[in-house]
Amino acid sequence: MVFSCIPFLFFFLPLCLILYYAVPFSWKNGILLIFSLIFYAWGEPLYILLMLFSTALDYTNGRLMERFGTTKCRRIFFLCCSICINLSILAFFKYADFAIASVNGLFGTQFAQPGMHLPVGISFYTFQTMSYIIDLYRREVKAEHSYIAYLTYVSMFPQLVAGPIVRFADIQEQLHGRRITFDGFEQGLLRFMMGLFKKVLIANQAGALWEEIRVLGAANTSVSTAWLGALCFTLQLYFDFSAYSDMAIGMGQMLGFHYNENFNYPLTAVSVTDFWRRWHISLSTWFRDYVYIPLGGNRRGIPRHLFNIAVVWFLTGLWHGASWNFILWGVYYGILLMLEKYLWGKALAKLPKWIQHTYAFLIVVFGFVIFAVTDIGELGNYIRLLFSFISNPLADARFLWYLGNYGIVIIIACILACPVYPWLCRKVSMLSRKKNCVISAFAGVGVLLLFLLSTAYMVSDTYNPFLYFRF
Amino acid sequence: MITNVKIKRTVVCLLCISILLLSLCLLVSPKKDFSENENRYLAKFPSFSAKALLDGEYTDSLGDWLADHFPQRDFFVGLKSGTEIAGGRREINHVYIAKDDYFIESYANPQNTERITDTLIRFYDKIDKTRVDVNLMLVPTAVTIYSDKLPDHAPASNQQETASAIYNESGIPAIDCTDWLLSGASKGQLYYRTDHHWTTLGAYYGYLAYCDTKGLTPVSLESLTAQTVTDEFAGTLYSKVNDYSHIKDNITIYTNPEDDLTVTYADTGEVTDSLYNLDYLKEKDKYSLFLNNIHPLIEIENKAAASQDTLMLVKDSYANSMVPFLVHHYRKIYVFDTRYYRDGPSSFLSDHNDITDVLLLYNMNTLDTDTGIRGIY
Repeated sequence: MVFSCIPFLFFFLPLCLILYYAVPFSWKNGILLIFSLIFYAWGEPLYILLMLFSTALDYTNGRLMERFGTTKCRRIFFLCCSICINLSILAFFKYADFAIASVNGLFGTQFAQPGMHLPVGISFYTFQTMSYIIDLYRREVKAEHSYIAYLTYVSMFPQLVAGPIVRFADIQEQLHGRRITFDGFEQGLLRFMMGLFKKVLIANQAGALWEEIRVLGAANTSVSTAWLGALCFTLQLYFDFSAYSDMAIGMGQMLGFHYNENFNYPLTAVSVTDFWRRWHISLSTWFRDYVYIPLGGNRRGIPRHLFNIAVVWFLTGLWHGASWNFILWGVYYGILLMLEKYLWGKALAKLPKWIQHTYAFLIVVFGFVIFAVTDIGELGNYIRLLFSFISNPLADARFLWYLGNYGIVIIIACILACPVYPWLCRKVSMLSRKKNCVISAFAGVGVLLLFLLSTAYMVSDTYNPFLYFRF
Repeated sequence: MITNVKIKRTVVCLLCISILLLSLCLLVSPKKDFSENENRYLAKFPSFSAKALLDGEYTDSLGDWLADHFPQRDFFVGLKSGTEIAGGRREINHVYIAKDDYFIESYANPQNTERITDTLIRFYDKIDKTRVDVNLMLVPTAVTIYSDKLPDHAPASNQQETASAIYNESGIPAIDCTDWLLSGASKGQLYYRTDHHWTTLGAYYGYLAYCDTKGLTPVSLESLTAQTVTDEFAGTLYSKVNDYSHIKDNITIYTNPEDDLTVTYADTGEVTDSLYNLDYLKEKDKYSLFLNNIHPLIEIENKAAASQDTLMLVKDSYANSMVPFLVHHYRKIYVFDTRYYRDGPSSFLSDHNDITDVLLLYNMNTLDTDTGIRGIY
């Protein structure tokens, strides 16, 4: 189930919240768990067993590590057990086809592919359970004694299928005691609505244009059209992904949970390093804390540092999907980060701000082309179109046609990709109380109208993709 | 006193009330099977089976059902289209929002030109050309004839190139009515504003092109009785765009007082003396009044015809509004809709020696998107 659909918004969520608020605290985790399982089963009825197995394993491992982990040796044993099984499951369901196809392609062999379809959210919840067991090994978190609470943590529907990746350490206390207030409900609902508007009214529209442009073919794609397509995909992915995080954070608030922010206006970054501090923050911190720093980070000399960056970015790429283009995308960022760290990072920081923004933005937009097109041959063709200044026209009537049709959505998206909203809030809060109220009233009417419009888009549902089925 | 906190609380309450009210209405409101405005059957409540549940099919269909039976669905669907058009969108569901209040169906890159040409060649090869006179008429749609009405910068259509390619490759003598239609474009409305068909006036220009090639003397419009039967026609394009504030169309029909007709519908066995079934005026798809909608085979006899010739007309729905002009010239017309006539008109032709003329008539859009023409052989 996606959040931006009628069954979720008009039935699942209200029903869940009503029951959740109605029952005493000791039942709340149970209600949340039941609804989370229904949520998962709605789209993946069979693979729910896999998730139950995975959580049972880590829960048991956690208990065993607590009970018998008196020596470092034993603790490592339980840690390895858990990580090996988790990674094997992930490897089998997500990467087996890809690995076998690659081997077949390289050596001309004919191994059969298992052809499993990818369980939704597996990369997110596997990383969550691994964070628990690693933190437990490091004694940064206490072993969880309640299986219900642990399962609730892993399967919690707001963040189950599209993140953010919540670490157990951040949420353990809240699982056993959290404040559920009307204020939190209000904040949460409005935050959820913001996410809904971003997904339905912006991401889906930008995505529709991208889908149209990517299949135009070389003869009909001018250079400007190709870049417009790349921009549209960038906007689609950012608005879609950050919308999911907004909705997750909002629902978390309604339920009394606090999740960390996952996006911080990444498209306004001033460098690649900066971009990765702002994009999918929960994933990059996961890799930082569980891979990069354990490998030694930047404290073991330049060659080792470069090696560590290479490993982390190869894995980051691979995490996004079992396909060469994602690895290429990771490697692309790995190399750029190395170059920024050791070649031009300092010089870049001295340049005017607008040059830094443009530099980072172009790298990001180009990077998302690699991300968007999974077929390497098709990817090569599309990249050629981006730079075919000689053979293709710079712009054509079709480009103007797309601008006319989608210009407004693109402009609104570009404005909202900058931190105008916090800026406006600051400005408004400095006004007199009366003016402040008038503006709030207008904003309120705006929210209600946007809700009606989003409902209209969901009802006449033409294009509402779920982009994370590869993650 | 009004405070920010109170405003926020009001907005949140209104949001909750709207969500709960809409979901409640969705559960208790009476359900429709068919959407007149969208011209389609709405999703049925899915029947439960363990297999469908495990496939995820059941939950998918449940989602479709909820969307299709959402309270005030027409309002919401119209709101979306209206907002999009206001925001500068000039193409919705492959329909251009064109000038002068026209909806014009876009012409997608043809996918089946080769297959169609092959079928036509096989059909034409088998015919004894000394006995029957065969013609192919591919009617351009509004996207070509009304290209000046298309929104600015709309991608150009290559309908004409495709038509020429099919004419040349198939070798069937062509009747190209494009210039006739272009010449008539200033004299009246040749295509409906809300439907993908040509109007009866458009069909008349097609008929003039036909007469010109065949050396027939066309009936003048003035000698026919014109009758505007509705001003409420909201056609297929209206249903694709779903902008319910859009103006609707007139339908004008022509009858020749001199004709003496017997129309036999082979599939139902029904016999009438009219080319129109005005009962369809009560329904959404009013274009169906021409030749009583779709039938695999219709036999039309005109005792007052100008000749004793027999025409075999193999066609799509565009021909339905041209037949009223053609009947004047043929004692008998066999009308085939190859989408539904399964036996292949080819063998019918060799069994019926009385046939003197064959006309294949298709419009350029359905020619490619509808596989019907492949039924001719």
